Amino acid sequence: MISERRFSRITRLHWWLAGLATIMVAGVVAGGIVFAKGLVVTNLSDLVPWGLWITIDLSSIALSAGAFLLSAAVYLLGLRRYQPVARTAVFIGLIGYTMAVLTLLLDIGRPDRFWHALVYWNPHSVLWEVTMCVCLYLCVLALEVAPIIGQTEWMRKRWPRVASRLEWLHHFAPYLAVVGLLLSMLHQSSLGATYGVLKARPIWYRPGLSVLFIISAAAGGISLTTLATMLTSRLSSQVKVEDALLDRLASVVGWVLVGYLYFRFWDAFSMTYTYEPGRTEGLRLITQGPLAFNFWVGEILIGAVIPIILLLNPRTRGNVWLRMIALAMVVGGVVAYRWDTNLAGMLVVLTYLPQEIVARYTSYVPSLIEFIAGAGVVAYGIFAFTLGVRYLNVVDHRYRPYKSRSVSTASAGD
Amino acid sequence: MSEGSVMEDFSLERRGFLKTLIAGATTLLSLRAFRRVSAAGPEGSSPHSWAMVIDQSKCTGCGHCTLACRAHNDVPPEISWNRVIQAENVNDQPVFVSRPCMHCEHAPCVEVCMVRASRYRADGIVIMDYDRCIGCRYCEVACPYNVRAFNWETFTGENPAVPEWGQPEIPRRPRGVVEKCSFCSHRIDRGLSFGLAPGIDEEATPACVVACPVGARIFGDLNDPESNVSRAIATHHTYRLREDLGTGPRVYYIPPHVEVGT
Repeated sequence: MISERRFSRITRLHWWLAGLATIMVAGVVAGGIVFAKGLVVTNLSDLVPWGLWITIDLSSIALSAGAFLLSAAVYLLGLRRYQPVARTAVFIGLIGYTMAVLTLLLDIGRPDRFWHALVYWNPHSVLWEVTMCVCLYLCVLALEVAPIIGQTEWMRKRWPRVASRLEWLHHFAPYLAVVGLLLSMLHQSSLGATYGVLKARPIWYRPGLSVLFIISAAAGGISLTTLATMLTSRLSSQVKVEDALLDRLASVVGWVLVGYLYFRFWDAFSMTYTYEPGRTEGLRLITQGPLAFNFWVGEILIGAVIPIILLLNPRTRGNVWLRMIALAMVVGGVVAYRWDTNLAGMLVVLTYLPQEIVARYTSYVPSLIEFIAGAGVVAYGIFAFTLGVRYLNVVDHRYRPYKSRSVSTASAGD
Repeated sequence: MSEGSVMEDFSLERRGFLKTLIAGATTLLSLRAFRRVSAAGPEGSSPHSWAMVIDQSKCTGCGHCTLACRAHNDVPPEISWNRVIQAENVNDQPVFVSRPCMHCEHAPCVEVCMVRASRYRADGIVIMDYDRCIGCRYCEVACPYNVRAFNWETFTGENPAVPEWGQPEIPRRPRGVVEKCSFCSHRIDRGLSFGLAPGIDEEATPACVVACPVGARIFGDLNDPESNVSRAIATHHTYRLREDLGTGPRVYYIPPHVEVGT
């Protein structure tokens, strides 16, 4: 009976991995076409140079924000209870940042010169700062994930010395948390500033973007970590979670969203008062134009209002399904916000003519290749997380390697 | 727990070492960063400050400037370093705006480029380093004048503007980099090395200025009060595109006879 159940579960996992692998193969083929033929196979243009891929890039970084927030909570605020959640978040973070790097390699015209960003510095460029932070933070995440690999049973059996070395990196967790917090605060907000400093695009040119980017990243990052943990515990009997922790995190998300909505409201409302060429058109695009559904339904209703109600009401939050739905909505809302922000500035084309500044609209729909390559990157992320759950025990709330480092094998082997 | 204490000692020793290492690396990196920041301005010095004046009362919108530019700079047909657009009608006469790169004094593209592939020259020209550009296209997003174009594919085959409008003088740009007007810096540099005067001697003057059949384009040195651009700016009412942005373009326009206003 038990073996039969085990068999059926493994089969299901295999199907799941095979499906994701198929999408990944399609993504690799699409990526190969992009590298062979160039970015001409996308629907990007000189008017809309950034599109779907930049959205995936921004979203995967934003949704990885759980890593630095939970690490800071555990090691700096001393909320040790959340340590197993931080473990999950750090692993998701590492996946998210590698997804971002993969998408960037697709998106830049000369991926063979990616190292130029590390060698030729322009500290005046916001994107330079973002690149530096992302590279350094990727190292921080790798160091934070290393002990997870060192703790696995197979690693201990096969390479015990390497395993203990990797686990030893735990000592640095508080320092890594400080560095991770600094780097993340910098680049999570500078990603907003990447848009926010551009005078040429009035809808972006405002200080609020950095603030909104980091607050929405906080909500989205914690949501994704909590959601992934809950989903995993539903889908795998191997995984045990402490629901009280997840319930608490979900209510934190609810409050972060309240703050986000407040800033968002004043940020948007202040732009409606007078006509400003380019900015008013961009706002119109968002509130009445082609992005209106995304904005009102995706960002505001699904991305903020409904989750706030569901997550701040203890009864609805206590319902596992409603909580998961609300968290998934927050994740979707963050992606919608990144997509809308990018396009609101791109789709309005301001003339440079001297008379009255005229705004025209352009359009952008990603090409099939962009969709497939993007789907490949996302499938890679889910694939890597599944493997992490299965082989690295990244979701397991019985796991407390900090209090007693030697018991880890006992819990992993059951 | 002797093993544990050994580990502790070891980690402390290593921690000290790491601290020294990190401190050293930080010092080195900050020194390097400082050097880079100070180097972000133009390199070297130049007695010149190049600028262009475009007389809209003369421009007929024939587009010779665009074609000559395509030939001399080997620009693919789908890209225009110098676009000519019909802006409006004044007294039933069409008014054209022809637009090269503005070579801004405070160029958004230079400010945002993370690898410093876009740079200021000491003579004010904003140049592109095509060997350094990684193709992120941030400069395209940042440019208020839409002067930048990305090489979405490799430019192969014949250039339709060659040889009718001139011969290519610079290599084609590879796929995946952003390109733009250079004020024909290669012509200026070569001309100066032969003792020629850019703006006066055709060989040392941007191709678009030479090609203009009605003399609507003037090129020269703003540092020389007697140059033709300095005199044109002194004697005419001129304006620059989107001056409100504070970019400080090096391209000045003489409006058509009826005031356009800025």
